[in-house]
Amino acid sequence: MADNLPSEFDVIVIGTGLPESIIAAACSRSGQRVLHLDSRSYYGGNWASFTFSGLLSWLKEYQENNDIVTETLTCQKQILENEEAIALSRKDKAIQHVEVLCYASQDLHEDVEEAGALQKNHAYVTSANSTEAADSACLPTEDETLNTVSCEMPAEQTPSSDPESALEVNDAEATGEKENYCDNKTCVPSTSEEETSENLPITEDTTEQPKKNRITYSQIIKEGRRFNIDLVSKLLYSRGLLIDLLIKSNVSRYAEFKNITRILAFREGRVEQVPCSRADVFNSKQLTMIEKRMLMKFLTFCMEFEEHPDEYKAYEEITFSEYLKTQKLTPNLQYFVLHSIAMTSETSSSTIDGLKATKNFLHCLGRYGNTPFLFPLYGLGELPQCFCRMCAVFGGIYCLRHSVQCLVVDKESRRCKAIIDHCGQRIISKHFLVEDSYFSENTCSHVQYRQISRAVLITDRSVLKTDSDQQISILTVPAEEPGTSAVRIIELCSSTMTCMKGTYLVHLTCTSSKTAREDLEPVVQKLFIPYTEMETENEEFEKPRLLWALYFNMRDSSDISRNCYNDLPSNVYVCSGPDCGLGNDNAVKQAETIFQQICPNEDFCPPPPNPEDIVLDGESLQSEASESSAIPEANSETPKESTNLGNPEESPE
Amino acid sequence: MMAIRELKVCLLGDTGVGKSSIVCRFVQDHFDHNISPTIGASFMTKTVPCGNELHKFLIWDTAGQERFHSLAPMYYRGSAAAVIVYDITKQDSFHTLKKWVKELKEHGPENIVMAIAGNKCDLSDIREVPLKDAKEYAESIGAIVVETSAKNAINIEELFQGISRQIPPLDPLENGNSGTIKLGKPGTQASRRCC
Repeated sequence: MADNLPSEFDVIVIGTGLPESIIAAACSRSGQRVLHLDSRSYYGGNWASFTFSGLLSWLKEYQENNDIVTETLTCQKQILENEEAIALSRKDKAIQHVEVLCYASQDLHEDVEEAGALQKNHAYVTSANSTEAADSACLPTEDETLNTVSCEMPAEQTPSSDPESALEVNDAEATGEKENYCDNKTCVPSTSEEETSENLPITEDTTEQPKKNRITYSQIIKEGRRFNIDLVSKLLYSRGLLIDLLIKSNVSRYAEFKNITRILAFREGRVEQVPCSRADVFNSKQLTMIEKRMLMKFLTFCMEFEEHPDEYKAYEEITFSEYLKTQKLTPNLQYFVLHSIAMTSETSSSTIDGLKATKNFLHCLGRYGNTPFLFPLYGLGELPQCFCRMCAVFGGIYCLRHSVQCLVVDKESRRCKAIIDHCGQRIISKHFLVEDSYFSENTCSHVQYRQISRAVLITDRSVLKTDSDQQISILTVPAEEPGTSAVRIIELCSSTMTCMKGTYLVHLTCTSSKTAREDLEPVVQKLFIPYTEMETENEEFEKPRLLWALYFNMRDSSDISRNCYNDLPSNVYVCSGPDCGLGNDNAVKQAETIFQQICPNEDFCPPPPNPEDIVLDGESLQSEASESSAIPEANSETPKESTNLGNPEESPE
Repeated sequence: MMAIRELKVCLLGDTGVGKSSIVCRFVQDHFDHNISPTIGASFMTKTVPCGNELHKFLIWDTAGQERFHSLAPMYYRGSAAAVIVYDITKQDSFHTLKKWVKELKEHGPENIVMAIAGNKCDLSDIREVPLKDAKEYAESIGAIVVETSAKNAINIEELFQGISRQIPPLDPLENGNSGTIKLGKPGTQASRRCC
């Protein structure tokens, strides 16, 4: 098993995010010898999804990452006279301002461990056991940088007698923070410590069946593997570039999807469902007959607005929201179209942008269901892995936990010729693809990054209760103040395989103006209340309760011109991290552009030949790399794989 | 016509223990000494009858991603069974088998059927792993175990029959994948012959 990596490739890809993985798959498919590396122990980089304990390990890793002070280059002696090195960074600066808040009560008497979790796994050396991870993720950082990790426990805690408990740390932290908390008038229950302990059952007997579906932190830990928590929250437009690519390349066979079931709006303090398909509009109880007709007429116009320029030409100079006011639409309908269908900004989107966005939305309706969006089972982090598998099937070599010290550049030709990895091995290649966060500060000193604010919440019920508790919803909360941006909320139910039964996983995303918590907590407070043990009388009208929350900022390296990076040789390509948008077109476009530079005139991810289309002629198949042709005898026997794929138009709802 | 149930089976085990050879023997009844290190079947299929059902095995190979310990969690998703392979002539491969089981328990579905295959039993002259050890270990984790030879076609059919028997009957309440969508071009619903 102590294999050495081969020392020569055509393409070396560093980073396993979505664009890098697509490029790796495309290159491998085109017959390039691909080495795909990631310094982390998991696939996906900042596109990854984690189990709950995996996420706690990620938090811990992130914190340790902050402690790396020096970045010494030990490969210097391997650099020849006519060469120079571009050092890569070991420190990931893409994540900042991490804050964890636990609202669910924590039973300290149990030795909490994820069910099925095992002690140190050979393949996951960095992942510590979950309690440890929680512990250190909650330690206040003494780092002088802007980065902060904090963990607060505003919810009641059962008295602890276990001095070893991780929560001792949290406890101190929580009391320390408490004043702060109340001053800020944040959503903490206004119970003093004394009240709390009075109202609480002192110890909860674990054998006693809880009356309501009470969820404790230990349950979340125990059921931790039911969670697949995405670092980036996106959906797939059912006619977007990523869906097309998945289908074209047959990578779709590695994944399954769910349709988003509801588009929601938040208006006048209430969450309501937005009717967007024809069926929705007609079935809607909240719209009057007149409104139904208005909306249908307008949406029908949007479907083919380009054919009627006279209807919108006069409004090209104004914003879409102003334009909507000129149309025969009630304020209700204007709101739905602007925020929930077009999902455009009230202040900055032009009429044309809005019409295009509306048309795109409508165009995607009905392909797989009643909304335009799909979400992959087990989370978005599956998709990079699917493309990586495609790459591996065509011979790509995969190596996680493998960092690269530097790129080696030939002084004369100004071309990169090799990498030197963390073992000191020199691996030569023709092309080098590097994800933005791997570059050192020297390389990106002139790059201006934007930031994405993210929150991940675990809640106990949906923001809009209906008969079915298995709804997947998207909700846009418009910006309140000028200069801030709308907050996109995606609520996932347990059948998406991203959270445990009885809980919902809620992702909030917006372009940052401040830290993630500052940007997003006001919206969180509008929609959720902190979890308490006490049940209120009026359950029906109660907001969903927050069990656990994570805030962080992620660097947005999309749309950065290659020229902004210092001194990159022409055969070094840069992939960006995730962008803030809802769809994935950015990643696919980026991948295709870079692929065309590496392999000009080659088809981008063509489908593997069907077994039946291959003429069985032993050796002659060697050149045609294919999933099936490598074992030619398989072809006649293996049923056509496409028969496994259902017709999407007929997919069950 | 009998109902066809698709069952994903994933293969695990060290590089070179014969994972691909086992599939190759099972699916095509063929053995190739120079099988290329798994540039090949992303998954292969074979349908076998089991009771009043047909089990269509979708057998996933590692595509070499195990070589540098970089198997992706998506590899295990939705697997009904896992075949964990070691080489009876290599004690090391039996030792790492236990690590694969751990990894499977961590990332695989809960009720996954585990089958351990001690491959290369045609080379029992140079055996390093006693069958007894494998049996004891398999019992301790509730797995089925069999010694196989992909080369001489020993126990390969039996291995998969054993898996078939362990697969719990279809739960009528969980009628397959409710509401999940598989993308793809409309499949030509060609019904292929099965054995």
